[in-house]
Amino acid sequence: MPFNYLENLTHYIPELIICFTMIACILFESAYEKNDSDRGILYLIAILGLGSAGVFAYQKIFAENTFILGSALAIDSFSSTAKVLMIIGTIGALYLSKISKDIYQDLKGEFVIMSTGVLVGGCLLASANNMLILYIGIETLSILSYVMASFKKTDDRSSEAGLKYVLYGGVSAAVMLFGMSHIYGVLGTINFQEMATALSGIAQSYPNNQLTILIPSFILFIAGIGYKISSVPFHMWTPDVYEGSPMPVTTFFSIVPKIAGITILLRVSSLFFSESNLLSVSWFGIISSMSILTITVGNIAAIGQRSVKRMLAYSSISHAGMMMLGIVVLNTVGMRSILFYAVTYIFMTLVAFYILSIVNDEYDNDHFERFSGLIYKKPLMAILMAVTMFSLAGIPPLSGFVAKFHILNAVVKEGYYTLAILAGLNSVISLYYYLKIVRLMVFKPYEGSENLVGFGVLNQTIVTVLFIPIVMLGIFWAGTMAKLNLANILMN
Amino acid sequence: MVTLGSYLFLSFALFVAGLAVIIARKNIIAMLLGIELMLNAAALNFVAYTRFVNSNIDGHIMALFIIVIAAAEAAVGLAIVIRFFQLRESIHIDDAAQLQN
Repeated sequence: MPFNYLENLTHYIPELIICFTMIACILFESAYEKNDSDRGILYLIAILGLGSAGVFAYQKIFAENTFILGSALAIDSFSSTAKVLMIIGTIGALYLSKISKDIYQDLKGEFVIMSTGVLVGGCLLASANNMLILYIGIETLSILSYVMASFKKTDDRSSEAGLKYVLYGGVSAAVMLFGMSHIYGVLGTINFQEMATALSGIAQSYPNNQLTILIPSFILFIAGIGYKISSVPFHMWTPDVYEGSPMPVTTFFSIVPKIAGITILLRVSSLFFSESNLLSVSWFGIISSMSILTITVGNIAAIGQRSVKRMLAYSSISHAGMMMLGIVVLNTVGMRSILFYAVTYIFMTLVAFYILSIVNDEYDNDHFERFSGLIYKKPLMAILMAVTMFSLAGIPPLSGFVAKFHILNAVVKEGYYTLAILAGLNSVISLYYYLKIVRLMVFKPYEGSENLVGFGVLNQTIVTVLFIPIVMLGIFWAGTMAKLNLANILMN
Repeated sequence: MVTLGSYLFLSFALFVAGLAVIIARKNIIAMLLGIELMLNAAALNFVAYTRFVNSNIDGHIMALFIIVIAAAEAAVGLAIVIRFFQLRESIHIDDAAQLQN
């Protein structure tokens, strides 16, 4: 079956723009001197390119949903929404990398190139419609991430983070492929729609030999995706990698790969397991227990941390668990709740990491005590950080509360009361470590002698702009929710 | 007569061997080799299933992509190991223990 690339061109314009942005960045990067400190043009190109890709992806939400390239990719409103979210997160991380001192000056260009590359992988993963694209997407996401984790070339901790990421990533990709190979063997195809048809045929009759192969294979398969969204029990790499990586890279990691992983997990779940049979019951049993474990382990491990970055790493694990909880509810309500959670999560993560990164640049470490008395020094930033922490914990009327409320609401409506109660209890636990920062900022005297020069007028403005959605989405969420309601997975 | 069963047994043995290498060996290069074994087990499975069960060539294409991507992953992995070695003078996994709770 010959297919014409140009015929489908209009459907993958966002990905094309991102690819060309990456190539342009590579060319411009090579034109810079090694010690040339200002890489303004590179950032300008990247942000313009990603911005226009975001606009095109936004238009695709309202366009017709189709399969392209021999139904290898599904260009539907769901994948386009996920792409827009990932592009917003990347742009946020890009600006942070420009102002951060955690990345060496001559590697800033490479951060731009690598992060746009990871974004291409994320876009592939968001619209993957067969197992080959799924694998390529995950590997594009992973291989570039390994490099990004070990960006600080002369720093032990960064190279160790990269090493751990490579080992965990390689193993989980191999485990996922092994599971995929058996799924392919039983179902006879790698196309998601055909697989779904074959699955519903097999799952009718019980017991049969094919199911005994399929169930363990799907467990192996979920290892690969679970590793990308760092859900328990595949989360062990997350705190180490997040702590060792430079601050902008950590910001990037906690946004783009997570959203990409959640989207593919949601797509796989809703394509394969929308019917009620033994296979889907066991799949959702695994997903729900994994999500509750993820939330709990993330929250409990976050309590004892000294480093704020590591605490945020654990908190991002628990937020990923919360998004996974929405997958248990397989309907449009669950889907739009997950997307809304992702929107708020992006902005909360960006604000928290921006402030943390600027504080970290000043003191060269990111312990909790560094926030002592911040309110006396930079009142605006301290208040924004405090409100963001409240929002992460899920206190009304902030957007974190609305997002959590919608997921729990969807879960309760389906009758999973235990899951909802456990998730609610976890929200209480998370208050402890989020409020620790607030307590230090407000009730402790300012100790350091540093001036916190990083909080200039421009940076404070940008943090404030990023902060506005956290409050606005908490009060005026209905409009965004209505937009996200359009997001639909193209079934066949 | 070589049947599908023998291929599946071989690939399972490869997979378990790879997993055992990753768990048991403390040498990082050996662990990367273990990952390659596991990837090859998956590729072998795809090829065997295509040969014996399924009539389409999806499995062959998957196997080709696995080989290519495994090479890319190994290249990046080895580069990171070299950097790690330059900083720590060791490729023992127990030396990678700075980042812990």
